[in-house]
Amino acid sequence: MFSPIRFLLNRREIEATEPPGMLVLDFLRRREMLMGTKEGCKEGDCGACAALVGELSGGEVRYTPVTSCLLPLGELAGKHLVTVEGLNMQRLSPVQDAIVSEGAAQCGFCTPGIVVSLTARLMEKGAALSAEDVKYALSGHLCRCTGYASLKRAGELVIRDAAQLGSSGSPSENIALMIAGGMLPEYFREIPERLRKIQFPSSANGRQKPEVFIAGGTDLYVQRGETLPDMRVEVLNLHPEMKGVFEEKGEIHAGALTTFEEFAAHPLVQQAIPEIRSYMHRNASWQIRNRATLGGNIVNASPIGDMTILLLVLDTSLTLKNGQKSRKLPLAGFYKGYKQLAKKPAEIVTEIVFPKPSRSARVNFEKVSKRKCLDIASVNSAIQITAGERVIQKVNLSLGGVAPIPLFLRRTCEFLAEKEITPETIVQAAAIAQQEISPISDVRGSAEYKRLLTRQLLFAHFAKLYPGYVIVRELLESGLIT
Amino acid sequence: MAKWKPLERMDFLGKAYPRVEGPDKVSGRAKYTQDQAPAGMLYGAILTSPHAAAKIIRIDDSKVRQLSGVKAALTDVHPTGTVRYAGEEVAAVAATTPEILADALELFEVQYETLPFAVDIETAMKEGAPRVFADKANISDARVEEEGDLEAGFAKADVVVESEFRTQVQVHTPLEAHGSLAMWNGEELTIWDSTQAVHGVREGVANALEMPINKVRVICQHMGGGFGSKLQPGRYSAIAARLAKQAGAPVKLMLDRKTEFLGVGNRPNSIQKLKLGAGRDGRVTAFSAITYGTAGIGTNAGVRLPIVYDIPNYRHEHYDVFTNAGAARPFRAPGCPQAVFSMDQIMDEMAEKLGMDPLEFRLKNDANPARQQEWRIGAEKIGWAKRNPKPGSDPGPLKRGMGMAASIWWPGGRGTQAMITVYPDGMVEVRCGTQDLGTGTRTYVASVAAEELGLEMAQVRALIGDSDYPKSGASGGSTTAPSVAPAIKNTAEKTREALAEIAAKHFGVSPAQMEWQKSTITVKNSPAKKLGWKELCSLLDTEPLEVRGEWVEGLSSAGVAGCQFVEVAVDTLTGRIAVEKVVAVADCGLVLNRLTTESQINGGVIQGISYALFEDRLMDPHTGTMVNSDLENYKISGSIETPEIEVIIYDEWERGVIGVGEPPTIPTAGAIANAVYNATGVRLREIPMTPDRVLLALAKKS
Ligand SMILES: Cc1cc2nc3c(=O)[nH]c(=O)nc-3n(C[C@H](O)[C@H](O)[C@H](O)COP(=O)(O)OP(=O)(O)OC[C@H]3O[C@@H](n4cnc5c(N)ncnc54)[C@H](O)[C@@H]3O)c2cc1C
Ligand code: FES
Ligand code: FES
Repeated sequence: MFSPIRFLLNRREIEATEPPGMLVLDFLRRREMLMGTKEGCKEGDCGACAALVGELSGGEVRYTPVTSCLLPLGELAGKHLVTVEGLNMQRLSPVQDAIVSEGAAQCGFCTPGIVVSLTARLMEKGAALSAEDVKYALSGHLCRCTGYASLKRAGELVIRDAAQLGSSGSPSENIALMIAGGMLPEYFREIPERLRKIQFPSSANGRQKPEVFIAGGTDLYVQRGETLPDMRVEVLNLHPEMKGVFEEKGEIHAGALTTFEEFAAHPLVQQAIPEIRSYMHRNASWQIRNRATLGGNIVNASPIGDMTILLLVLDTSLTLKNGQKSRKLPLAGFYKGYKQLAKKPAEIVTEIVFPKPSRSARVNFEKVSKRKCLDIASVNSAIQITAGERVIQKVNLSLGGVAPIPLFLRRTCEFLAEKEITPETIVQAAAIAQQEISPISDVRGSAEYKRLLTRQLLFAHFAKLYPGYVIVRELLESGLIT
Repeated sequence: MAKWKPLERMDFLGKAYPRVEGPDKVSGRAKYTQDQAPAGMLYGAILTSPHAAAKIIRIDDSKVRQLSGVKAALTDVHPTGTVRYAGEEVAAVAATTPEILADALELFEVQYETLPFAVDIETAMKEGAPRVFADKANISDARVEEEGDLEAGFAKADVVVESEFRTQVQVHTPLEAHGSLAMWNGEELTIWDSTQAVHGVREGVANALEMPINKVRVICQHMGGGFGSKLQPGRYSAIAARLAKQAGAPVKLMLDRKTEFLGVGNRPNSIQKLKLGAGRDGRVTAFSAITYGTAGIGTNAGVRLPIVYDIPNYRHEHYDVFTNAGAARPFRAPGCPQAVFSMDQIMDEMAEKLGMDPLEFRLKNDANPARQQEWRIGAEKIGWAKRNPKPGSDPGPLKRGMGMAASIWWPGGRGTQAMITVYPDGMVEVRCGTQDLGTGTRTYVASVAAEELGLEMAQVRALIGDSDYPKSGASGGSTTAPSVAPAIKNTAEKTREALAEIAAKHFGVSPAQMEWQKSTITVKNSPAKKLGWKELCSLLDTEPLEVRGEWVEGLSSAGVAGCQFVEVAVDTLTGRIAVEKVVAVADCGLVLNRLTTESQINGGVIQGISYALFEDRLMDPHTGTMVNSDLENYKISGSIETPEIEVIIYDEWERGVIGVGEPPTIPTAGAIANAVYNATGVRLREIPMTPDRVLLALAKKS
């Protein structure tokens, strides 16, 4: 028996004594017999299992769609879990109605999950819902039947209905408008009040020493999902102090539990990395980004983690804690070999800190993958360049997928310092980079391809950041790049 | 011969209307096989072979049976005792929870004697390669098709082009895995199956279990996609039934994603050596092809060459190659996307050598009158005249180009039976033992009946997906609509006749004197003698009227023509291809429902894009198993990859119903490859056209 947790499931308050590491998807389908939430892949890749998690913060409840196949039950304590059944009303909601009238459900297996995600986006955006938002919502869903065209048309109908909400405000204002407009069931009105009354346990696991830390679970459940329900897990998200972004003494601090979405949505981050939101379109899916944490990305130590590669060029350091002991470590020194970390098993990463880039610094991130979204990169790369008039002062360059660890290209960076930005400089830098990398052939591409991409991405960085000095079309004509 | 009424007099057919089960699907109420959970249900799973080839020496399930919660185990599920691919069934178990099931699978002790294997086509074709079947060579005898005089044809050619093409193994990847729930009631067995053929599974399971067919019932109300992979009964259905029998409880056995990738079908790959000859006048004179393909341990890896063009002299020699991999199953237009990928490229190569526009060259060599129109319509819509005349001339870095390819399909309708019940309150039920894969079958079962009876769709309830209903074939080969729709119409016609008799008796006239207007019936020339639908049905008193009907000639046709034009943008920095626009011209006969038809076409196009750019079953030659057996590594198209798709329905309703499901997936890959050539000047003769292949090809060129 595990210490019970209480939460709201759709209209009901329930108590669960199942293991905290149990998947919410299994809980829904096996204990609650709520079969609208489908199982397609159990790896976060198809979206058939999407559900909404509502969390009380500052008196409001904020809902995000997540893949319930990677969500630990223990995390639901004090939250509101909404499945497609919880969105059903007497008549079809505008999202449901749009999907029916555009014929956007064929076999229909992907459909309930899509209803959940589109509704979530509508709650988030209200009357301001746009075609971009529809894409955002669909990013975590696979449909093998429709070709998505009818889903996009259904999205347009929802946008039209959303416009009738009149104005768009905070998510909780949007929710109130949606309830008034018959777009969301009435019971959503009482949820904040009901959630306030639910007792929050400090830790679902009592005082036992945990065997494993779960943050977002998006790597853990994919790698060893079957074993987690039987283990003593520590659900890190029950420690809200490890979340959030703030600035102190010219440095940006992000809690290790900050999700990709929270990070990219924060004004401080957007100031530091102006294009951060566009990078998100290439990074996992909305549903995964609502769960995936910075700390998880770093500790998972995939040589190709997108956030790790980006953070590597920002002179990031980590705060590690073990009980009361705490230490700081540069991110670039964190990786010792394939999945080998300068970290004791009991240590947790609590914070990620990087200095605000200077005014003359420019940051860029590139990722090449087979599919445009929801795909792991073949090669990804980030760069931070500080330069005066045409002359580089300092460069930080990282590359993923070309070595056993997320690679910081120290020698290439050293070479580039104090050089003038010209195509020839980049050609020379690319040659040095070739010596620093050691790619292997795998499902994401051949070693030869990854070497080629290394050169191409280096050019892409400069072309994007210094379009006046490096023009891709001219490079192509001169044969410097392919 | 039976005929449809003219399109302009139709209320539903030819128009767009939502599917009848839509509300159930958007609310999560539609129950799939995966969702069945009768009281006391156990979970079943299959232990599969980790080896690509091995003799099973011994299976010990004693530890499995000792595990608390295990209720049944089988060690004799393999028919021969020699497994031939990693993923093949070895043993099975049922337990009270999936967790116990997972532990139980680990407790089987299986002793294998591993055998040498060949998992890829090249290895299997080599001299001295390990044999997949001891009594057969890996390479089959040649299957030859020929017409005319090949030598004379090439002798007449002014220009000859030779090219080699390759296509990959593609896996169906429906979102709902294959699986069954088996439930016994005494000696009677009910199976819920995620299938494309309730009647086929019934026969298959009855055979496998050697039981009378009338003791087996198969139900499939909703299923999460099949694309051909669920056309045939799987071993898992009979296994679930045996486990259920042993345990004395219902057993649900759904395959996991990995087993789904390994063992329940795929589209064979191909190696194609093509040679095409043509005269300066732009007429093709001869074509020859030698092709190889592997259907794993199965057969039928054929490539349907020469596919659409009018070629007077040709010879096609094909070899199936056995490999230690899961058997192929029909996959949306078997053999066709492979063939068009190569054929429409070599046509373009020839056009370039002849200095002809690819469109003009096709018009000269395509004898199909419908496609003659369709080529022109498609070219106009995509703006063919505005494309880069010189391949690769777009300065980049995003290079744009256009390409085209053809589509074709053959089968039409065939035997299907149906029954209509009219109740005294005026409600109607239509029963037909077909199934809805999401293509809209249930909806047109209702709409065809409503159309013929002059009713609203809400008055008609369509009952399908149950082998207790009148027999209909498997839903595959785009035969479902041309088979089912005529059967429903015929049954509805007969229902009208039966009702006319009842009305005639009521008025004391002969049935020939009765006349229908929508659902109202009148005695000719006596407008006062009239019965509305409700009044008419009330004459049934308490006895519902049951009428049977069947597929008849005249309401459907065989033969489909189509074509697609695409525009791509190739990012020369990264090698990524983005398909920006597709114009899909589709031959549709009588359109049963414009909404579901367009959706079929969109879905076919996106599967074609997925085939062209992403999908690829990768086998590890060392371990003999699939490397990317999950959705993280086996990529299918997502919503972002959906280009603007303009669907042009070329409908000739007089032809009756024709199949529309397969043709739209046939031309896409070939058209994309031609567009990539137009954009970059580099021809990709192998799919998928991943950024990797594109960039390396571009680098090689420059
Ligand atoms: C469908 C899908 C798509 C994805 N796409 C991408 C992508 O495009 N780009 C990308 O980079 N990644 C991607 N990922 C991978 C994954 O989402 C990220 O790596 C994510 O950041 C992991 O964070 P998490 O919080 O979910 O980690 P978890 O799975 O919870 O944890 C991962 C590991 O880190 C440990 N850990 C987590 N937090 C801490 C901490 N604070 N201190 C100490 N140890 C900790 C855990 O014990 C575990 O070993 C994808 C994953 C899925 C399922
Ligand atoms: S089941 Fe596929 S994402 Fe959860
Ligand atoms: S409708 Fe079948 S997977 Fe989307």
